[in-house]
Amino acid sequence: MNENLPTIPPAQNWRTISQSVKPRAMSRGGRWRLFTAGLRLTGVTLVLGGLGWGAWLVSAALQEDPRRIPVAAKAVSMKAPELETTRDGVLDQAWLARTLELKSGVSLMELDLGRLRERLLLQRQVLTADVTRIFPDRLKVRITERSPIARIRIEADGGQCDLVVARDGVAFLGTGFDAAMLASLPWLDVGLARDGIAYRTLVDLEQVARLLADAQFSAPHLYQTWQTLTLVRLVSDDEIEVVSKNRTTAIFSAKGEYFVQLAKLDYITDQLASKPYARARIDLSLGREVPVMIEPLVPVRPTRTVTKPASNRFPTAFSVSQLISKP
Amino acid sequence: MSSRSSFIGAVEIGTSKISVLVGECSGRELAIIGRGECASRGVIKGVVADNRAASDATHSALEMAERDAGERIDLVFLAQSGGHLEGFYNEASVNVKASDNMIESGDVRTVCDLAKSKELPTGRMVVHNIRRPFRVDGRLVPGSPENLVGQRLEVGYWTVHGQEQRLADHINVIRGFNLEVRELVLSSLAAGHMVTSPEERQHGVLVLDIGAGTTDFVLYRDGGPHTTGVVPVGGTHLTNDLGIGLRLQEGQAEKLKLRFGRASVQTKDRAQKVWLDGNFAIGDRQFSQQAIEQITAARTWELLEVVKKKLGGAFSPETCASGVVLTGGTAKLSGIVEVAAKVFGVPAHLGEAPTWVSENLRDPGYHTALGLLYYGVSVQAEKSAANRRHSGFFNGMKRLFTHA
Repeated sequence: MNENLPTIPPAQNWRTISQSVKPRAMSRGGRWRLFTAGLRLTGVTLVLGGLGWGAWLVSAALQEDPRRIPVAAKAVSMKAPELETTRDGVLDQAWLARTLELKSGVSLMELDLGRLRERLLLQRQVLTADVTRIFPDRLKVRITERSPIARIRIEADGGQCDLVVARDGVAFLGTGFDAAMLASLPWLDVGLARDGIAYRTLVDLEQVARLLADAQFSAPHLYQTWQTLTLVRLVSDDEIEVVSKNRTTAIFSAKGEYFVQLAKLDYITDQLASKPYARARIDLSLGREVPVMIEPLVPVRPTRTVTKPASNRFPTAFSVSQLISKP
Repeated sequence: MSSRSSFIGAVEIGTSKISVLVGECSGRELAIIGRGECASRGVIKGVVADNRAASDATHSALEMAERDAGERIDLVFLAQSGGHLEGFYNEASVNVKASDNMIESGDVRTVCDLAKSKELPTGRMVVHNIRRPFRVDGRLVPGSPENLVGQRLEVGYWTVHGQEQRLADHINVIRGFNLEVRELVLSSLAAGHMVTSPEERQHGVLVLDIGAGTTDFVLYRDGGPHTTGVVPVGGTHLTNDLGIGLRLQEGQAEKLKLRFGRASVQTKDRAQKVWLDGNFAIGDRQFSQQAIEQITAARTWELLEVVKKKLGGAFSPETCASGVVLTGGTAKLSGIVEVAAKVFGVPAHLGEAPTWVSENLRDPGYHTALGLLYYGVSVQAEKSAANRRHSGFFNGMKRLFTHA
């Protein structure tokens, strides 16, 4: 069989003959070819080395000391930077000029693009920023902006300051947004800790953003009445508490489908519209059962004020089965 | 000029002249862009005898070819001839390994390795391993036997080998010009590839490349080379015979051979004379035309007989249906075709380059260099195609497990 065949080394081939030759064994033509080949190799090495060295010099000059930039590079003064933002972006040229604070007559080569980008990103309304030189005299700034989903009031420097919050939990000033649009956003009832000069990013805001987006889309009439969103029990119980202008408190489950919960809320709100009440608490977080607690209106007695005990604030309670036959 | 082109020099260091052709090769396309030619020095019977003289002549031809092409040669395909080249046939057979008797690549590799592995005497080196068609259970298989079913796989190789020192001398001539020898090709194979068609090679044809110092021959059968050989006798021997027989200097004898030499005796009149120079000046001499013809015919006949004897049983008129093709400088000798037909008993004709070869390269003296270029390029293309086939990821993994 083939496995038992002897292994015979193959015979020597002419290719094993060494083809190395010393220059002194070459003819004049051969030595000239060797010389020109060496010259060519040296030339290519020098050119590549020179290019690399030049590139290194330029990058080093730009990184370490912009003043070492040649005069010729500084001669062309730059035009006003161009801003390119997202389609629904609100930031404008004036904001860009204020933010970048470029000196007049500065040339393109004198700019430190990294620092400019950092300065743009310090404005937390800016999600991404890209700064590009377009020679000879244009600077192009491409940014994407954050969109606000809610407002937040914070204590700052002894006073109060209103910020807006994006869906990724970043709080920012909300420069350039329409005041009416900002006024229509609900408030977030949550504390915001400081981290140096900036505020910390709010975590788990994605659920809230989804609720607000669903409400805006499927129940805008409800969304318009929403005043405050409390996130105290979001982490522990996955519950979002929404307080409306009509003194109704709705508790949403962050685990459930918001569309279903909004539909139930809409139905219950319609049912309650005919019943006068001081305050109502609708718990949508329990699934099919929706407990609704109603505090009836108390007739005003001008002579004396009656203070009710805290435990009796919602004396009337009934199950959703009484109100909802089908959600 | 394409940036992917390579410039190949085909060099034939012959006994009487050195020919160089420059080809621009891009992929499988080849264009001949330059040529150089120089009278040979330091080469006797196809072998480098004086390295310095041979190098000077070869380098002159190379420089001339580079100037003509306007490009630098990157690598060289070198023709190889000389009496030191010999050949032998060795065959091997293996039992097919697979239980279903289907031949696998491993079987093919094993049988080929065995057939090629015959040990050579010290100082000898393989120039070519020419494979003959495979046989599966005695049945001839023109192509690859892989995936055919059979019990026994056989193959034979015609191995051409030469003296290491002689081969190195040839290579060193080229290395002296700081050029790499990429392929060493037997002169007869190069010339045979150029002057025969695939159909002729399939039916069987004998190619005789009669040069100045050597006569190279190759016998094709079943589409491929079957037997090759070199006889260290060529046109120079005819010149020498004339010089000795008629008491002439080498140059004068060469002149007489070219003008009045014949491969057969046609002149009946013994008194018919020819003049050496024909200018009737002092020193011009008369010679018998019949004597010249007798000398050249005797040597030509002898040369062809030697070739026939060397071929032995490999040659027979039945297996050489396409006859004999003559090429090389001495093939221009008047009447040699008829003599060849008589000696071998088959039709003979002068080899011609294919019609696409330009007019200035159609001389038989360029057939070897032309063949070198085309044979070399096709061999390189086959090798690179085979490398591509075997260098895939799957093949790499397969090899890894095979050798594990």
